[in-house]
Amino acid sequence: MAEAEFERRLERLFAEAPELADAVAFADRVERRLATGWTARRWLIGAAGVAGGVIGASQLIMSNLFQRVENVSDSARVLKAGFTQVAPRAAWVSGFAEGGVVVWVASALAIVAMGFALTRVIEEL
Amino acid sequence: MSGSTTQRFASLHDVELCSRAAIGERAAFGELVRRHGSAVRGLLRRMGAQASEADDVAQDAFLTAFERISEFRGEGTFAAWVKRIAARAYLRRLQREKKLGALASEPIDGEAEVEVKGDADAAIDLDGALKQLSAAERLCVSLCFGAGLSHAEAAESLNLPLGTVKSHVKRGLEKLRARLAPGGGVIVEGRRGNG
Repeated sequence: MAEAEFERRLERLFAEAPELADAVAFADRVERRLATGWTARRWLIGAAGVAGGVIGASQLIMSNLFQRVENVSDSARVLKAGFTQVAPRAAWVSGFAEGGVVVWVASALAIVAMGFALTRVIEEL
Repeated sequence: MSGSTTQRFASLHDVELCSRAAIGERAAFGELVRRHGSAVRGLLRRMGAQASEADDVAQDAFLTAFERISEFRGEGTFAAWVKRIAARAYLRRLQREKKLGALASEPIDGEAEVEVKGDADAAIDLDGALKQLSAAERLCVSLCFGAGLSHAEAAESLNLPLGTVKSHVKRGLEKLRARLAPGGGVIVEGRRGNG
């Protein structure tokens, strides 16, 4: 048999591996490990995203917190005055009186948004 | 995975399954493992790994393949790509366990008597034939003909000189040829150079 022909035959023999009896069980084990790995990874990414979001949002807020509170309070007062004139009994407008609450709700939303954004970025990486 | 999912993927080509796995569809990758798991495990066993060791390495290789699935361009077959990953992973394992170094000191020259069965079954008994080879010969032949590595790639992976790998492959092929050839007899291998 020619050398090249034998080498081709050998490659074929290597490629024609017999199906092992526990092939399905093996595949299931690999799939289970994949699932476990992805769950752990998702938790890790989520935790990293939340931590990053908290840090980022707190940095954002702490940089000029008092000025923002003051501005929002002023805005709320102006808005409240305006709305009182238009609809004096509108109950929901009273919420604006609490300018600080708005800031904290906005902060919470910023944390969630930054956490989400960071999570997406980490997942893409 | 449910039966319907298995059926859904069973009709798809490997490349299509890889594309789906690349967007995170684990079930698609599971189908690839089902198709090629035995081939990868078989190669590792042929390289000399024990059954449980081969399974461990093959599992790790498939997980690595899943992580790096976007790197698979479909230029070769998926099976060949995973086999290369698995073969290299097995070599790294041997290196960690300080077993790979022993190959370098394994003599290339020397006389060896190869008993040849000579019956029809011998022609297809690759596993039996590989057992006649030394560990280094078996590893080199399996890397080059099973995992599809070039001599140079095998030399690099094994941390051996290129000439040494070529010699191991040459001697391994001679033994396999004698063992797998129809008919045959006892072949006495003489001393050969390192070329």
